[in-house]
Amino acid sequence: MTRVTRRHAALLALAAIAYAAAAWAVAPGFYDGIAPPAPYRWVSPPPQFRSSNKPPLSGRATVKVNGGRVDPGSVFTQDGQAAISFSAGAFVAPAGGSPVTIEIQPQATFPDPGETHIATNVYCITSTSPIGPGKEALVTLQYSAGLPAPGEVYAYQDGGAWQKIGNTGSAAPFYIAARTSTVGCFAGGYPKNAGQAQGARLGGQSLPIIVALAILVVVLAGIPLAVLRRRGGADGDEG
Amino acid sequence: MTSGGLAIVPSVKSVLVLAPVGVRAIGLAAMAVILEWARVLALRTPDRQAVTLIAGGLALCLLGVGRRPAELGLETSRMPERLIGGLALAGVLLLPAAVRWGGGPTLAPEFALAAVAVSVGEEIAFRGAMFAALEQAYGPAVAVLGSTAAWTLAHALSHPPEFLPAVAAAGLLLGAWRWAVRDLVGPIVGHVLADLAL
Repeated sequence: MTRVTRRHAALLALAAIAYAAAAWAVAPGFYDGIAPPAPYRWVSPPPQFRSSNKPPLSGRATVKVNGGRVDPGSVFTQDGQAAISFSAGAFVAPAGGSPVTIEIQPQATFPDPGETHIATNVYCITSTSPIGPGKEALVTLQYSAGLPAPGEVYAYQDGGAWQKIGNTGSAAPFYIAARTSTVGCFAGGYPKNAGQAQGARLGGQSLPIIVALAILVVVLAGIPLAVLRRRGGADGDEG
Repeated sequence: MTSGGLAIVPSVKSVLVLAPVGVRAIGLAAMAVILEWARVLALRTPDRQAVTLIAGGLALCLLGVGRRPAELGLETSRMPERLIGGLALAGVLLLPAAVRWGGGPTLAPEFALAAVAVSVGEEIAFRGAMFAALEQAYGPAVAVLGSTAAWTLAHALSHPPEFLPAVAAAGLLLGAWRWAVRDLVGPIVGHVLADLAL
């Protein structure tokens, strides 16, 4: 470890400012992709995903009550495509202190979304006890890497109309999240007339993969070429 | 295997051991990127993801084998300052997310362990071994910029294109710390905390 000079400190500060500016452009900023999503599992896959599609999975968990408050926690579907997270006391504690069971089910049928394009599966969340008055839970939905990203989370309750509930900004690429004050059915989507713009922003991962493979080939080919060139030069010098 | 096939062995040995320091540095960068891509591609099957992540992190750590701790920036002197530096780096890395935080799912314990393995592995590979090799071959500017470029390339398969500038900027910040302070403990601490938080 060396003594940091003013020049060092100034460059570090510049790097920090550059990072803040770059990270501010995307939410959440720096993210290391610890668990990049597996191929999205569709209830009704778009044509290009039909041959390789696997059905989505449901999720279920029981949450204990401690001291008259329902514990905090998260419930995920088994494939990680949908989750609900909540803080302590978010759900109303049942009489007698019995635990709260929460289920997440992918849905094949749902009300007509009208002018909204649904870009994910629709997941219905049910619980044996409601979310308390003034309390909220966070619903997080994965979306496919191969299609335009949803801009908002939409929800409906009991077969009613779809309502936009917002987008809190997700903790990870390919996930969208929103806060809700009730359980119900949720999906990621965007207005149908905004589809083209969304598609231009995120049209899948094929381009970076192609570029990355091209760079890999150049690097891998460049090493032996560099060795051969140096050897050739050395031989020439000796000769 | 024919004698013609065996003839390649000395060439491979030359690349790995006897090649000039610049070639070795580039080879190290290529190996680190390939290890990262292999991990990401392996993760596309849903089975044993945490084990895959941990194995990927450990494989990256192997790129630092054979170098003295001082070369990697892993000396133990002035450890409190290094740890505080790591906290400061974590603060900078997490600040843009923290001010906009809307909550998120909790990281399961096995993925938390995996996050630590991957973070440590990436730091030892990119800001440790690769930085040292590039600095030895081409000087500190190339070490900072080269390790940042390789780190960004390594994330090209796991991140959508619009995230890559933030990844590159994070690499530049951690690389600048490695150069300015001659320390890798800070980047390891900062990176681990950032990955656990996000």
